[in-house]
Order: sequence, then structure tokens, then C-alpha cells
Amino acid sequence: MTLSEAPSTSPALVTTALVTTALEKSYHSTEPPTRVLNGIDLAVRQGEFLAVMGASGSGKSTLLYCISGMDRPTAGHVRLGDLDLTELSERDMSHTRLTKMGFIFQQAYFLSNFNLRDNILLPALKAQPKARAEVEARVDAMLERFGIAHVADHGITQVSGGQLQRASICRALATKPAVLFADEPTGALNSSMTLEVMDALTGVHRDGTTIMMVTHDPACAVRADRVVYLRDGLLVDERDLGAWQQADTSRREDELLSWLRDHDF
Amino acid sequence: MSARGISLVAGRREGVLDILFQGNFWEGVLDILYIYGLSGLWTHALRKRRETRNVAGVELFNIDLDIAYHWVLTWMSLQIPGIGVLSSEAPQHMHFKYTLNDLRKNPGVNIALLVVLVFSAFLMASGAMVMERTLGSVNALFDQAKPPHFLQMHKGAYDKAALDAFATAHPEIDSWLIEDMVGYDSAVLAWARPGTTESGTLSKSLIDNLFVTQNTAFDFLLDADSTIAYPADGETFVPVAYQQRFGLQAGDELRIRTDVGIESFVIAGFVRDSQMASSLSSATRFLVSDADFERLHTSGGSPEIIVEYRLADPAQTSNFQAAYESDQSLPKNGQAVTGDMIRIINAISDGLVAIALMFVSLLLIAIALLNVRFVIRGRLQDEVHQIGAMKAIGLPNSTISGLYLSKYSAMTLIACVIGGGLAIVASRALTSGMQASYATAPVTALTFLAPIAALVLVFLVVIAICRHVLRLINRIEVVGALVHGSTLNERQTARRGKRLARRVRRSAFTSYRGGDLGRRISLVDLRSEAGQWMLLPLVFLLAVVLITLPTNLLTTFQSPKFVTYMGAPESDLRIDLQFSDDLEQVREDADTAFATDSRLAQVHRFANELVETRGDEGWESMRVEVGDYSGNTIQYLRGGPPSAGEISLSVLNADRYGVDVDDEFTVRRDGSEVTLTVNGVYQDITSGGQTAKMAGDATGIVTGYIYYATTAAGQDPTVIATDYGDRFPAATVVPMREYVSQTLSYVTSAFFNAALLAIVFAIGVAALITTLNLTLRLAREKRRSGILSALGFSGSELAAQLRFKAILTVVIGTMIGVAVAATLGEALVGAAISLAGLGISNLAFIPNPLLVYVAYPLLLMAVGTISAVAVSSRLRRGDTSAWLRA
Repeated sequence: MTLSEAPSTSPALVTTALVTTALEKSYHSTEPPTRVLNGIDLAVRQGEFLAVMGASGSGKSTLLYCISGMDRPTAGHVRLGDLDLTELSERDMSHTRLTKMGFIFQQAYFLSNFNLRDNILLPALKAQPKARAEVEARVDAMLERFGIAHVADHGITQVSGGQLQRASICRALATKPAVLFADEPTGALNSSMTLEVMDALTGVHRDGTTIMMVTHDPACAVRADRVVYLRDGLLVDERDLGAWQQADTSRREDELLSWLRDHDF
Repeated sequence: MSARGISLVAGRREGVLDILFQGNFWEGVLDILYIYGLSGLWTHALRKRRETRNVAGVELFNIDLDIAYHWVLTWMSLQIPGIGVLSSEAPQHMHFKYTLNDLRKNPGVNIALLVVLVFSAFLMASGAMVMERTLGSVNALFDQAKPPHFLQMHKGAYDKAALDAFATAHPEIDSWLIEDMVGYDSAVLAWARPGTTESGTLSKSLIDNLFVTQNTAFDFLLDADSTIAYPADGETFVPVAYQQRFGLQAGDELRIRTDVGIESFVIAGFVRDSQMASSLSSATRFLVSDADFERLHTSGGSPEIIVEYRLADPAQTSNFQAAYESDQSLPKNGQAVTGDMIRIINAISDGLVAIALMFVSLLLIAIALLNVRFVIRGRLQDEVHQIGAMKAIGLPNSTISGLYLSKYSAMTLIACVIGGGLAIVASRALTSGMQASYATAPVTALTFLAPIAALVLVFLVVIAICRHVLRLINRIEVVGALVHGSTLNERQTARRGKRLARRVRRSAFTSYRGGDLGRRISLVDLRSEAGQWMLLPLVFLLAVVLITLPTNLLTTFQSPKFVTYMGAPESDLRIDLQFSDDLEQVREDADTAFATDSRLAQVHRFANELVETRGDEGWESMRVEVGDYSGNTIQYLRGGPPSAGEISLSVLNADRYGVDVDDEFTVRRDGSEVTLTVNGVYQDITSGGQTAKMAGDATGIVTGYIYYATTAAGQDPTVIATDYGDRFPAATVVPMREYVSQTLSYVTSAFFNAALLAIVFAIGVAALITTLNLTLRLAREKRRSGILSALGFSGSELAAQLRFKAILTVVIGTMIGVAVAATLGEALVGAAISLAGLGISNLAFIPNPLLVYVAYPLLLMAVGTISAVAVSSRLRRGDTSAWLRA
């Protein structure tokens, strides 16, 4: 990755896309119950690229799952725009996930009975069942843009990991979500594929998409506008990388690494 | 093994429970079974010693049974891997640990599987026991009662000297007798219970009531203790069938309204009749003393005789019959019956239940096997990492598959023990009615060998399938298993990938124009994973067949149309004029009465004529029904009704004389030979299945007349039957539906039980397997559910998808099942019935279409739907992140 590709932060970012208040999560299947999130207060600005970092087991992924409603928080609130997600029924939460959220996972979760393009089309068709032509045109354009149009009719076992993750990005964007969640999107990839995927994500962010990404890889986190650090379920620190962005990209990387060293990362 | 278990109990002061939960689980289970068996052996041996006088064999049998129990148990348990290797602790411990963990992790799946196995073992063992008991009962009765090998009924005058001459001329006759009987119509028989107000009549019975005295040489009527009954004067022994039907008790009073007043008898007991025990028999015998018989004989009953023969070599019966029938001087205007026919008719009624039970159990075993295969394959897939790890540390394939086999073979063993135990109870209930009609079957080696053989068969088949499925372990490769979590090797993976790629090349949404996206996904899944979804439709297919066939047989035997299998046209009334001296006069009166009766729409009269035909031994008698066959509704197997110069034969007669449609057939009527053309072959189960039909008027010896009448619209056949019964005392007038139901009462009640049993088991198994299958599928599809949930499909939408897939497969399976039951099922059952040699060679079902083709499938589909709804509701409470991490 070259730092020159790091995104620019627009100075006009003021609206909040996502807010969590005193978010807590405990698992009661263990004795005593395991407390994974200890009251997280976090705000993600509209159009921001936020990276969540922390050691293994610090609660990064749980935070992501709780915010997106895939896991129910034990206490606290999550607001997406005007919606209090924690108040929603399971059905409404699902609908919100469909229409307002996009996901990229560490492992490319695809349905093996569908080809790549069908997998990408699926959520978009569900969200807009009446606008099939429009959905298909949008998806085909994305396939071109992310360089996977030539493998669109391939099965998911026939393409590379990088291609699969780019397809994940396509699928996540196909419903034009308000926020894109990424959970270690490059965790299972080699370095060249990581670059491919991060370039794609950076491009998406440049187009104005709000991204919240969980990662333990500084080389990925450095692409973000802001990095927050999680330890034992608590948000302990954050670093805004925006200031260094245009002036000196290598400073930006140094800054992040030294900040992480301060947290014994 | 057992000895070691016992020594543990004594030596180390460990109880069975310690062995069970801390040592070796299977050894503990087996110890329990052994202790149970040994305690039985001890109890039986003690009782045997206490009651030394009782050498009747019952206790000896129990001891034999105990020994057989241990022998089979030992042999079966040795089939369980891990049991045989007692010397090394490690593998045993591993088997135990694995099995216990598995039971703890998947109690539902294991219990469901065990229940299906228990059902299978239970039905198989019950079928074997009922079959053995039935044959044993019939044989026991035959041994004690000594029925004749050949008998001929006759009404009216006969030449005693001719019978004597015939007996002298035939040295193959061991002994013979003429039994005098006097018949009274059911309408004149009534009963009352002294000291109470309870009373009733026997008028509902349609069969002939014949009063007889006890025979001296053979053909004995036996009482409840299987001893030959001798009533004192004023006493009577009543057929067991009437005891059951009318609820009679010893001590009750039997009253007969004779021409000279009321004759009253005390019922001293009930008799079993080897000749007339079966409900297919058209008569039944009451036993009275010699003096009483004489009085009844002269008080207005209709006299009848049976000439009975016992032969030195029963195998010669058919030759003997031919010789009898070719002698013109002998009495023969009634039915001729051979010992084989008696035996078959007796065995068939209850034998059919046993066959039905075996049939149901075979289908259940098929279901159990499909299920075992599905469960094992699923487990191997789930535990592929473990299997890979075991292979990686160098455990041989046999040890790994032994780990799994030990559980399933132990489960099968337990199922066989439980199923066998239940079968003992059930078969007692199933055969109690039959044992009353016949005799208590003696206990022989076969008594316990039959069910044990059935159980061993179940055990072996299940184990064989398990071993077969477990061969998959040999093909699993370490890297594939550990790295990719796949049971496939590299080549198989590549092949699978290519197959998948080919399939997905065409977009699944090409034809999608909006609508339910969930259903579209479900259809794609079903198409792609057809193999994994096969179990449900197969189970429902088998379940439909399982409940349809017994019911179809039941409705067929219950249907008024079934008379067409009895050689009679479909009609509302049957009027029998049996031989009497004024037969022709009665016939003329009856003809006039029927012709002028506006309540009858159509009346067909047929004469029973005795003609002669060429048999192996020369000319022999044959019963022919002569009349007008135009507009006749009887079903012909081949050809059609006879017209002038033609004859139609029953299946058994056509076989006997080796002729078929268009062949020539010579008969002798009134001394002159006539060559006729065979025009049709039909099915008949009356008169031993050996009948014929000719057109025109009777010219020879007429032994009786039969009228078939259809009533005018709105008329009640029962009322008309009573009316004519009173007007023509010599005639037997029966409403057809009643006639069929009474004649076939044994068969239909047996089939009713079998049908009910089949429905209960089919529904239970369908619900169980649907739940089990969907639960396992749900576990297997966690990842898929997680992905769809993450993409925005709600829990209820995921549940709807599972329901859609389940219900669709259930509906498809049920539909195919209905088609199979209606086509193949009929052929299958038809073949079995034809083999029974009853005179039916081609059984066409007379189903109740609304019941079997609408209600039953709907019922099964409802069961599938309810199970699917119950299982799929779990998806509503799903946890997306947990699913994704699965």
C-alpha cells in the first residue's frame, strides 16, 4: 500500500451518522458472565471512515455486531440517523440492516448455490424488488468498477479471496447503505489482495460512504479518518488522522504507529 | 464380559451405576440386562423346583427362553465395537466418553432415532410372534380336534349303502363318519341370563346354526380347556364366535323356538370348531346331548348331514376328492371341503394381520435405515475436524469407525430389547381373540426363535447399513478434513467445484419478476441440495404407502362390491333356497312373490346345478350356477359372462382343469356330454373358490337356488330381508352388505386393527423424522441463516424459507406416495393375496378415495407442516452473530 492513496477528509463533516450510548454486552453462558462491552460511547460522523482497533478479545467485533443489530446489546442505545436501533423489533432491525447497512466480513460469507453476481444482487433485489433493471445495472456497473465483471457468473469456489472480498464490497454497496461495516475485511488475505481490497474500500469512502471498520492491521487502519482504541470492552483512546493527511502521508503512518505503541499494541 | 461386570460388582464394591457412569457405559448397560435376565432365570428355576408336578413345559420354556435371551444378547453385544476389547482400557474409555458426550450433546436426535428403531424392532417382532402364534393355534386345534381331510355336506335323502360300499372300496380311508345335524335359523334362537333381565336374540347372525352331538372318532368340538366336550341332557355348548359376538356366558339360557314349542338349554360352555372356526365359514355348530338332539331333530329343524373322511395319507386328499365326486351314487348336493381349504381359511384371517404387521415394519425399517444413514453422514460432516485429528495421530480407520459404530449398534441392541419386550405384550393382546377361537398354541422352540430371528434380522440390517455409511471415514483425507473441514478428497472436491460452477453459471434470478425472494432462494437451494433433501419426501412416500395399503384392503373387504370377488353380482339382497323336498314349489312361490314386489327393482335367479366334468380320475362333480347372465355386474378377470354354449370358470377351477378363455370344456348334464367354450374366468372365494357359471336353464340335479335382487330407490334391504325371511322359512334372506361384513368379519376387524396401527405409527414416525431432519438441517444451515440474516432477512422470513422447503418436499413425497400406493401397492398386495390361494388372483382395490387419496395425504401433510412450523419457529429467536461464527 502506498500512503499517497490515503483518503482526504472533507472539512465539512458535521452530521452524525451513528451514535452509541453506554453500550454494554455480557455473555451469560459462562460462569461468571463475561462482560465484553463495558459502556461504549461512540459517534461516527456522516461520511467518516472510522477504524476500530484493539488487541484480540478487546470486543471490537462484538461492538460491530451490537451496533448492526446482529447481536443484541445487554444495555445502552444505538442510534442510526433518527432511529434508535435498540428499540426496533427483530423484523424492523432486519429491514434496517437491509436498507441502511452494508457488511464486509473477514471470511467472505456467500451462498454457495448462487454465482457471484446473484450473491451481490440478492440483498439489492430484496430491498427493491420492483426495480430489477435498475438494480442489475447498478450491480453490473459495480462489478466493472471493482474489476470482477469477468468472474461474475463464477461459483464462489472458483474465484480468489481478493475477488471474493471485492464482491463482498459490491454486495454491501448494492443497497446504497448509510453505513458500511467491515469486520477485519483483509484478515484472511495476503498482502497483494489486502491492497486490492483496501483500495476498493478507500474508493468507496471517497465517494462519501460512511465506513466503520474493525481491524488489527495498522496498514489498513491508516486509511481511516479516525482510529479508536478498545481495551477490555472500553473505548480508551482515539486519534484523528485527518490533520496529517494532505501534508505528509508518511507522518500519518508514523503517527498511528507511535500512538499504537503507546497502547502496547 | 458379563462375568467381569459381575466381579466388579462384588469384588470392588462397585454398583452397576458406578460402572455405568465411571467405567464403561456399554458394559454397565449390558450388566443391567444380564442381571435382569439372570434374575428371571433364577425365578423361573425356583418356581420350577417348587412346582415339580407342573411339567407342562411352561416353566421349562421360560428357562429355555432365559438361556436364549442371554445367548442372543451376548452375540449381539459382541457386535458392538469397544465391547470386545475388554483387555485394553483406553479404547473402551474412548467409546464410552464419545458416546456419553454425544448423547449429552444431541439428546433429541438420539432419542428420535432410538424411537424409530424401537418401532421397527417392535413391529417386526410382533409380526413374527403373531404369525407363529396363529399357525401354532390353528395347528394345536387341528391336532386335538382332528378335523376331516375331506367332507361333503348334503341335504335331503341319501344312500347309506352307497357310502358303505365306497368306504369298503377305498382302503386309503383311515376312518369316516356321517354326522347328523339339524339346522335352526338364527331368528328362532334367543338367550337370557337367569336372575337378571339381560337377554337377546341371535337373529343378527347370518350363518347356519347346526345342532350336533359330539363325534366319537374324530372332528371333535373342544371346550375352553381343549378337552372334548360332552353336554348333559338340557345342556348345550355354544360356538366361541357367538360367545364373543353376543357376550354370552356359561350358565346363560339358550332358547330355541321349534315347531312344538320352546326348547330351553343351559349353556355349559363354549366350543372351538376346527371346521367352522373361521368367520369365512358359512355355518357353525352347537353341541347337545344325544337325547336332546333326537328331540330337536323331530321338532322342525332342517336336517343336514356331513360325510367326513380322515385319510391314512392326507396328501392323497385331492385324488380322494376326485374319486368321491366321480361316484354318482354318493350324496353331494352341498359344499365339498378339503382339509387344506379349512386350514387356509383358518390361517388366512389372522395370518393377514401378521403379514400386515410385517409389511408395516418393513416400511418402518426402511425409514429407520434412511434416517440412520442421514444422521451418521451428518455427524461425520460435523465432526470432520475430529476425524482428521484422529487420523493425523495415527488411529486406524477401523478404530475411528468403531467409535461411531459402537453407539449405533448399542442403540439398535437397546431398541431390539425394548421392541422385543413390547412385542411380547402386544402380541398377547393381538392374538387373544384368536387363541379363544382356536386353541392355545403349545410353546415350542419356534415360539421364541421366530421373534428372536426377526429381531436379529433388524439388528443385522441396521448394523450393515451403519458399516456401509461409515466406510466414508476411509475416504476422508487428513488435510481435507483439518484444513478445509471437508469429508471429500482432493479429486472429489474438484469434481464438486466443477459441478457447482456448471450449475450456478446461469443466473438464479433470470426468470425472477418480483415476488417472494425467499421462495426463489429456497427453490435454488432445493435444486442444488436435492440429495440432502431426499429423506423427507422418501419418508412421506413410505408413510403414505404404509397407511394407504391396509386401509385400502380394509375398504375393499368391507365394500358391497367385494361380492364380485365372491362370485356374486353386486346387489342389495341375496336369497338362498337350499335343497329341500319341495324346493321347486318354494322356487315357484318365490318367483311369483318377487315378480309382483314393487320394492324390488331387479331380480336375478340362478340355479345351483351339479354337473360332471372330466377330472384326473374320470368324471367328477362340479357345481355350476346356471341362469341369465345378461346385465350381470360380476367382474371377469378374463373374458366375460357365458351365453348359450359357453361356460365361465372360477380362477381355481380354470387352474384345476388347465383351461383358459376360448378353450373347449366338456361337461356331462343328465347323462349327455356337451362341449362348451370357456368364455370367461372370474374370481370367487365361496365354495372353496371352485365354481362355474353357465347360461340358460338348469336341466340336471338342482341343489338350490340363489336370487340376487336390487331394491327400488329408497327401500331398506334389511326390512325386505326380514319380510321374506318370515314368508319363506326355508330360504336364507340376507342384505348383501350385512352378509359381506359378517362373512369377512375376522378379516375386516383384523385389517381395521392393522390399518389403525399403521396410521398411528406412520404419523408418529412422520412427525418424528420431520422434526429430527429439520433440526439437523437447521444446525447444518447455521452459516446460511447467518449470511441471510446479516443481509437483512428477518427471522420469520428465514423460518418461512425452511417451512417452504419442508412443506414442498413433504407434499412432493406424499403425492408420489399416493401414486405409488395406488399403482405399485395394489400390484404388491394383489400378488400376496393371490399367493394365499384363496381364489382371488387379481385384487383390485375398492378404495374410499376421499379417505385415502384426500384425507390421509392431507393428514400427513398437516403433520409435516406442524413439525416444520414447530422447528422453524426456533429461527425467530436466532442469533445472527452466533450463526456466522458456527
